[in-house]
Order: sequence, then C-alpha cells, then structure tokens
Amino acid sequence: MTWLDSTVHRAMIEAALVGVLGGVVGVFVIARRLPFFTMALTHGTFPGIVVAALLGVDLYLGGGVFGLLVVLAVVVFSRARGQDFTAATGIALSGGFALGVVLVSAQDGFSKDLTAYTVGDVLAVSTSDLVITAVVAVVVLVVMAALGKELLLVAFDRNGAAAAGLPTAVLDFALLAIIEVTVVATVPALGAILTVALLVGPAATARLITDRLVLLFPIAAAVGVVCALAGVWVSTQWNIAAGASIALFCGATFGAAFVASVVRGRLRPAAEAPVAVAVQEEARV
Amino acid sequence: MTQQQDRTAALVLEQASVAYGHVPVLEELHGTVRSGEAVALIGPNGAGKSTLIKAVLGLVPTVRGRIEVLGVTPAQARRDVAYVPQADTLDPDFPVSVEQVVMMGRYRKIGWLRRPSAADRAHAAEALERVGLSDRAKNRFGTLSGGQRQRVLLARAIAAQPRLLLLDEPFNGVDAVSQHALLEAIALLKQQGAAVVVSTHDLAIAHLACDEVCLLNRHQFGFGPTDAVLTPERLRATYGGHALELRGDRVIVTQT
Ligand SMILES: Nc1ncnc2c1ncn2[C@@H]1O[C@H](COP(=O)(O)OP(=O)(O)OP(=O)(O)O)[C@@H](O)[C@H]1O
Ligand SMILES: [Mg+2]
Repeated sequence: MTWLDSTVHRAMIEAALVGVLGGVVGVFVIARRLPFFTMALTHGTFPGIVVAALLGVDLYLGGGVFGLLVVLAVVVFSRARGQDFTAATGIALSGGFALGVVLVSAQDGFSKDLTAYTVGDVLAVSTSDLVITAVVAVVVLVVMAALGKELLLVAFDRNGAAAAGLPTAVLDFALLAIIEVTVVATVPALGAILTVALLVGPAATARLITDRLVLLFPIAAAVGVVCALAGVWVSTQWNIAAGASIALFCGATFGAAFVASVVRGRLRPAAEAPVAVAVQEEARV
Repeated sequence: MTQQQDRTAALVLEQASVAYGHVPVLEELHGTVRSGEAVALIGPNGAGKSTLIKAVLGLVPTVRGRIEVLGVTPAQARRDVAYVPQADTLDPDFPVSVEQVVMMGRYRKIGWLRRPSAADRAHAAEALERVGLSDRAKNRFGTLSGGQRQRVLLARAIAAQPRLLLLDEPFNGVDAVSQHALLEAIALLKQQGAAVVVSTHDLAIAHLACDEVCLLNRHQFGFGPTDAVLTPERLRATYGGHALELRGDRVIVTQT
C-alpha cells in the first residue's frame, strides 16, 4: 500500500475515477439537458451536509442521503399538472439551499468544514475516500450498462417509453439518482460548486467531437480523465487549487473543441442551444 | 397465425369515456376495429384524437365503459401494441442514430438487462428496409427530414411486430414520397394481420388507406365504413356546424 501513501498518487487515482464517472454520466446530463439540475443538486445537498456535521456523521453520507430526497422531490413535483422538470428543480434547489442556510445560521463555527465542501481538496483524499469513490464508480457504471437501453428510450421519447410499458418515473428517478451519487462522489475532489464542470464539460466536448452515442461515452470518459489528471498535475506543480484547475481544464478543452468544430465547419445551428447552456453553466462557476 | 386473427376484434370501444383527472375529454365511444383493418380518426384540433390513442395505450384512464385491446386491458396489451408519435415531438439534437431508433422497437421483446441479439438486428434492418431508408441507418436521426423521421418511427413500430398499430398524425408535413412509403408500409402491416388506428386531418388518406372512419369531436359523430361515414352532413356536425367545404378531398373549415 506504499504507493497509495503518497498524497499525489491518491489524488491522481481519485481524479481519474471522478473523471471517468463525470464523463460517462455527463453524456446523459447533456442529452437530457440536465446541467441546471446538476448545478441544483450541488446546492440541494447542502442541508444534508449541515445536518451530518451537526450529528457528527460523515458529511458526504449526509449530503448523499439528502440529495436523494431532493431527487425524489423533483421527480414527484415534475409529475404534477402543468409542471416540468426545470420548475421542480428550481424549487428543490432554492428550498434545499435555504434550509441549509437556516440550519447554518442557527449554529456557530461551521465555516471551516464548509470551505472544504464548497471548494474541495483532491490532495486531501484518504484511502477510504478512494475506496468509496471506486465503489460508487463501479456501481454507477454497472447500473448504467444494465439500464442503458431503457434510459436511452426514456431520454429520447418519453411517451414512446410509457407506451411500451416502461416505468418512466422509476427510470427518471434512477437517472437522477445516478447523477446525484456522482455529484456527491465528486464533491471531495472538486467541491460542491465546481463538480458540475466535470459532469458537463467532458460530455459537452465529446458531443462536439461525435454524433454517435457509442463513441460519446468513451470520449467523454477520456476527456474527463485527462482534464482531471492535468488539473491535479498543474495544481501540484504550481500549488494552485486542484478543483479549480480541473474545472478550468474542462472549460479549456471544451473551448478548444468548439473552435476546432467551427474551423471544421461542423457547427450546426440547431446544436448551438444546448451547447450554449453548458458554456453558461461553466462561465458561472 | 395471421389467418386466424383476420376476424378477431383488435380494439373494442364500449361506451367508453376518457378523462384527464376530472375533465372528461371523450364520451361514449362505441365501435370495433378488427385485425387486418385500419380506422381513421378524424376530427378538428382538440377533438380528442391523441387522447383516444393514449387511452388505447393505457396512458389516460377510461373512466366509464370499457376499452378492450386484443382481448385484454390496454395496459396488458402493450407488448403487442406499437405507437408512432409525430416525428416533430422528438428532440432533433438527440445523439441517436437511425438504426438505434429502429432498434428501440425491439426493446420490449428483448426485455430488461439484455442486449439486442442477431435476430433483433435482423428485424430492425428489415423494418428499416420496408420504409426505404436502409441507406440512412448510420445517420443521426435528427439529420433526416421530417418525412424521413416519420418513416423511421414507423420502422421502429414495424420492428416491434405489433398486432395493433397506433399512429398520431403521421402525414403532417410529409411529402408525396414519404407519404407513399408510409402508406405502403401500413398496407403491408394490415395484410399481415395487424389492426391500424391512424389519426389524420386528410380525408384522402382516410379513403385511400382506411376501411373505417371514426369521426370525433369530444363525442363520436360516426364510426363505420369510410364511404358511409365520410358524408358532408356528418363532417359538418363533427366540425361544429361551422361552414365547411369538402374541396378535393380535404376538410376546409372556413370559419371557426
Ligand atoms: N394532459 C392533458 N391534461 C388535460 N387536458 C388535456 C391534456 N391533453 C389534452 N387535453 C385536452 O383534451 C382535449 C383533446 O386533446 P387532444 O390532444 O386529444 O386533441 P386532438 O384531437 O389530438 O387535437 P390535434 O388535432 O390538435 O392534435 C383538448 O381540449 C385538450 O385541452
Ligand atoms: Mg393530436
């Protein structure tokens, strides 16, 4: 286990794991236009973190459990009359975050824990963090492979999926839960605010490179790993925040792919809308 | 198999009323569609054509009366029912290829946790062949024209080997070539014993492709053989008594 005794080695493994995870899950985030939901989740898990800190249990366990409640709320709200996903997400986001703020304001001495939570520190991950991330990665990838075709059908044609008898609400919950678990697993490395970069950037970049679904997953995963490792390397070389440099690499890769696609004349007017959303999301973080 | 089913009722409506929540949309529908027959659903916007199709799929509840699909309830029959949505309701940017869309028609038969077999691939390829788009298999769905996308969605339904096929306005904004391809494919399905329900605003299509017509506008204004039902009087009644002309074969509502 000596190799893992090195902070940098652990950071690199953690970065590679969240890179793969963020890239692969991100393909669905982009295809179903869920960057806003992903952003919302990082805020929505906040009360769980606060409660976990109050109870003295693991912060990310708290965030993870609370995030599942947010996901459930979004699925239930979005099925109400006249509502869609975006409105439900907005409500869950602001409600969750407000609850966290209320809980924090009722307490003192939270600031230290919270900085690590919001900005992350990949160089601080322990071996047990690594094991958790690895388990999450394996579970998420296995579930995605197992439910792949059903998730695809619901994403592409909800009515068609319902008509074929698929349980669309359950599949929605499954996908949102996959995103949620990925977010929570990525937070220790990138921090709550920057996690969205890894779940949107690599997949959006892959989408600029190819139209083919089978290629999107490996390309997004590769871009995610490269960005994450490059971010860690730069951070150790020049002693800058790792999460931020990973997020910057995600943005820069996307920018480079975007320029390349313009140069190659592949840019389709119809494809601009979702891409623009992704750019805004990144610009905001 | 197809011979025996020729006479069986694929879809039975028995004084059926359909509602979204508390709002009744369709009331007292009555009629039968047999295997190998096609029925056109005709009525103005908001008449409830799409709602009836959803009720037959079991996605909207039947609050009174009964809808029987292939001898069972709509929800139980889904395995043998295929639905063709309007192509323009689907995201053209979605990264999915034509052959992947057609393969979706096989998902129900493939089942959970399994991957498509060689036989599934063969069915999908044959279905795509039938709508004349084999050469576009590898293209992204969104890069096809509206009419071609509609044909791909029909191929997806064909790949599902349905005994009842439901199409919601498949001919809207479709050119003559695609319309011909759609009609041919539908005719072949009928020949193989499938029952077909198609909503349309085009009376020519109803005459051309359908044995029966169901005139709808919240209530049923006629259900029976095309020539007997598509009369100017009944159409006027269906379209709410507004001045209505039958020019060529199209319904023209001159005042709404
Ligand atoms: N999800 C829904 N909830 C409540 N009412 C609905 C819903 N969908 C449709 N309706 C109502 O049901 C009625 C029938 O709508 P439907 O979409 O079935 O009409 P249609 O005949 O398919 O019309 P079009 O030709 O415009 O497609 C409309 O008056 C509409 O307001
Ligand atoms: Mg309709």
